[in-house]
Amino acid sequence: MYFNRRAFLKRAGSCAGASSTLATLGSALSSFELMAAEEDDYKAIVCVYLLGGMDNYDTVLPYDKASYDHYTRLRPSLMARYGGDRKRSKLLPLSPKNADAHGDRSFALPPEMPNLAGLFNAGQAAIIGNVGPLLASTQAQSFEDESVALPKRLFSHNDQQAAWLSGSSSQSRYGWGGAFTDPFIEKATNINPEFSTITAGGYDLFLTGKQAAPFQVNPEGPQYIHALKDAQDNRRLSRLLKEHLAASYPELEGLVEQDVANSFNKSLASNKRFNQSISRFENIKTLFDEGDLSQQLKVVAQTIAARNQLGVKRQVFVVGIDGFDTHSEQANELPKLQAELDLGIANFYQALTQFELGSQVTLFTASEFGRTLSVNDDGTDHGWGGHHFVVGGAVKGKAIYGQIPKIGFDHPLDAGHGRLIPTLSVEQMAAPIGRWFGLTPDELAKALPNLANFSDRLDFI
Amino acid sequence: MPRLLICLCLLPFSLLANDFDRPDKTALKQAESHSRFLTQTTFGPTMKGIGALSHTGYSDWFKQQLVMPATLQSPLIDDFSIVGEHAAGMAFWQNAISAEDQLRQRMAFALSQIFVISDFNENQLFDHPGAVSSFQDLLIKHAFGNYRDVLEAVTYSPAMGYYLTYMGSEKGDQATGRVPDENYAREILQLFSIGLIELNSDASPVFDDNGNTIETYSNQDITGLAKVFTGLNLNESDFYDEEGDLLDEVFARFDLDEGEFDEDFDGEDEEERLEGAIESLVFTLPMETFEDSHSNLEKRFLGLRIPANTPAQKSIQLALDHIFAHDNLAPFISRQLIQRFVTSHPSANYIERVANSFTKGVFLLPNGGKVGNHERGDLSATLAAILFDKEARADRPSSTFGKVREPILRFTAWARAFELENVTPIYMFNLWDTSANTSLGQHPYRSPTVFNFYQPHHIALGTQTGMANLSMPELQLVNASTIPSYINFMSFFINREMRSEEYIEAYQDFMEEEELDLDINLVKKSFYANYSLERRLASNPKALVDHLATLLTYGTLSENSKERIRDAINSIPLSEKQRRIEIAILMVMTSPEFLVQG
Repeated sequence: MYFNRRAFLKRAGSCAGASSTLATLGSALSSFELMAAEEDDYKAIVCVYLLGGMDNYDTVLPYDKASYDHYTRLRPSLMARYGGDRKRSKLLPLSPKNADAHGDRSFALPPEMPNLAGLFNAGQAAIIGNVGPLLASTQAQSFEDESVALPKRLFSHNDQQAAWLSGSSSQSRYGWGGAFTDPFIEKATNINPEFSTITAGGYDLFLTGKQAAPFQVNPEGPQYIHALKDAQDNRRLSRLLKEHLAASYPELEGLVEQDVANSFNKSLASNKRFNQSISRFENIKTLFDEGDLSQQLKVVAQTIAARNQLGVKRQVFVVGIDGFDTHSEQANELPKLQAELDLGIANFYQALTQFELGSQVTLFTASEFGRTLSVNDDGTDHGWGGHHFVVGGAVKGKAIYGQIPKIGFDHPLDAGHGRLIPTLSVEQMAAPIGRWFGLTPDELAKALPNLANFSDRLDFI
Repeated sequence: MPRLLICLCLLPFSLLANDFDRPDKTALKQAESHSRFLTQTTFGPTMKGIGALSHTGYSDWFKQQLVMPATLQSPLIDDFSIVGEHAAGMAFWQNAISAEDQLRQRMAFALSQIFVISDFNENQLFDHPGAVSSFQDLLIKHAFGNYRDVLEAVTYSPAMGYYLTYMGSEKGDQATGRVPDENYAREILQLFSIGLIELNSDASPVFDDNGNTIETYSNQDITGLAKVFTGLNLNESDFYDEEGDLLDEVFARFDLDEGEFDEDFDGEDEEERLEGAIESLVFTLPMETFEDSHSNLEKRFLGLRIPANTPAQKSIQLALDHIFAHDNLAPFISRQLIQRFVTSHPSANYIERVANSFTKGVFLLPNGGKVGNHERGDLSATLAAILFDKEARADRPSSTFGKVREPILRFTAWARAFELENVTPIYMFNLWDTSANTSLGQHPYRSPTVFNFYQPHHIALGTQTGMANLSMPELQLVNASTIPSYINFMSFFINREMRSEEYIEAYQDFMEEEELDLDINLVKKSFYANYSLERRLASNPKALVDHLATLLTYGTLSENSKERIRDAINSIPLSEKQRRIEIAILMVMTSPEFLVQG
């Protein structure tokens, strides 16, 4: 029994506080370094989509005293609502290798993100600053005048989500996650192409390519056919039903019928293979918290662990959490979400470490936009550029790539109310990941058509 | 009992349960043929419909359908306020399954997959189901009219204006470098009229001397055409003055006490409520043109020159006339319409014959009757050409013929085939949003993009049809996730699980949350199948299977499938009639013979 009321993921439950401390993470991290080059050439990309638009200002916070004080003066009502929870002394300072890129300014994560702070400072995570959908380099003046090409319907959730995941806010059919796996399907690198792109719920566009079609996995358990389960008490019926659903029809002349019959028996076999393969890794569930994101990442980790049984070498996953559209109650809501994000990523990397796959999986966050600097009493409104995390053993971490613009209004990157005009396009963040994934420059250009509009290439992985 | 006999008497007696040992072949073949015709022309055959066709004949049936009053969707939206933003989809389910003007509804549904709007991902159309249903009503009203009229109605529709972002598109400004929005200019050519490459009248591509296809339009054409679609916006002038304040007479015009508003307004003052209601209303009215925002430059595209200072409405008229006149239109549209009704990869000759009827605007039915008024673009003539073509009426011309039934049509086939107590989708959570691939993977008016649920030229790699280079759009929706989901989705309805404790409890919780005062019996009756005819056949597996084969697969269910289904029925005790029926129906609906319409 299932009711499909919403296309978006629901938060199964909140999670408060981290169950893993920096200390335990420290021991896990050392095995990252111990890890030798893997024999199997497997790689996976995991997109953690933060639905609603995560506030960049309240995630990568100013830490040097001057910037911090300036920040609190610009957001008095919000800081008041936090009480002491965003006090400077509670923040978790970041120590980037490239600190001079930002001069005297330094940054910190909120108290709810100790694991990400730890991963960053240990070199396993990086921050990509001020990234978002762009068609061409843009500044406040050209934005006002509309004298450069701008993404359609900025500040609209679904349009900017499409822009992030497919490179266009206007009706793209393919996402770059799917496009990244197409070449590996075409070259038969993935023996079972149906497991190339995997979603724990939604964001199918991201995973759709010319060949790639998202495979749905369910954190609550494998998808099974109810009719087969109901027939378990009747052996003959059970056998006949299974035969029926997996049958081939050599006597049917129609090619279309043949294809449908083949799809059915292949899909049943796929689902069976998938369920059996990941059930072997049931035990890793002890590493994961009960929260929504952790549960989704649990099933991703199981799938990755089962990669050989599934016959895949290149996979792209998407998981997501909802709730970041903090027009109100930001001080109540955002910390909970940040804690869930932090814990989910920590759990995930701990599991990967057990399988010695930390360097073969790269995780990144995405969100349709950042938010305004100005607050509307207890919340913020839709922004544009945001700051995001990239996590994994292959990441050249402990660095902030791109810019974290100075906090203020009416500067050249202000699209109004402190919405940041991105200084990096989504393609510029995606391209290095794609290169690491094994795409040739041609394949990358095909997957990210707008990449050619930008000359700067980042080197974070 | 008597009513049932009357129905069945329209079929020869030998088809009834007692006498299946020596079936009357001709009568059976006829019933199968009728069932096939109804599969092509309605949302699913019914026993009554199959019987009626024996008396009416297809030509007269077609003519009757043309003059039947149109069933619209907008009038239903207010009744569906419980489901909030899903109301437009519910209107679709209700009409698709119960409306009498089935052919018109099928045509409108087909047009909605060419002229695509969508409330996917909770865009602003999601907040205005009235906008979606008004748009669909345009397609319903013009379904048997002329393509040129559809093009115009769609262009002025605020739903399309919003969806393809040209609502509020401003003329260019040389000083700042701003240019008009090009989205609609592009999609109206690429998707709604002529497509990307030059076509012959049989939809085959035209090749140049180097063997390359020829693009129908360039970026310059788009830029030129984009100027035409400037200055269109919501028709608010009836309600607001120049300063943006509500006109005095509006307060009088809207009787605020008569409950014209959505129930969700709480704590808002009268003016805000009124503005909300007006916003919903203007989304259902044709857009207005605003000359100040309309480009007064010369507009050139595809060889047409619209002189400078041509006003908006005139510019739009000239542009649409010019697009309509393009030679690609007939084959481009004809091929897609054939795909929606009959087969996914029609032969070149079939397309050419249909395109010819589109162009001539007339078609001669088998009984000599005429369809169409001789105007190029006549949709009734085009549809008649599609349905009465020898390739559509012949029994399976070739092994490449046919189409995979799209998920929505699979479900409506079940809903129509078995008499349901009530067709009331608002009581069925499962129907509120069937877009996810854990559900049907397709939901009315909720495709992921303007490119619809599938592409007209989709070739499925790694398949037999793919190797034969056949376009099979609906195969895009068949994958390892949607297949088990489809089976589970149908099980819920076939097994009448709306009467399960779990479901009733869930709906009761919902009613409590929303403070609704509904009769829980209405939930129990919703989509509840009586299976009265099937119950009579439950003790006779052969009779039951043959009946389902005629009703659901118009006789194409193979002997092997039938045998396996009979065995499955026999594995269930005779006393468990309901279970025998459920298994039989599920097995038929998961057979390739049902899933493929050939």
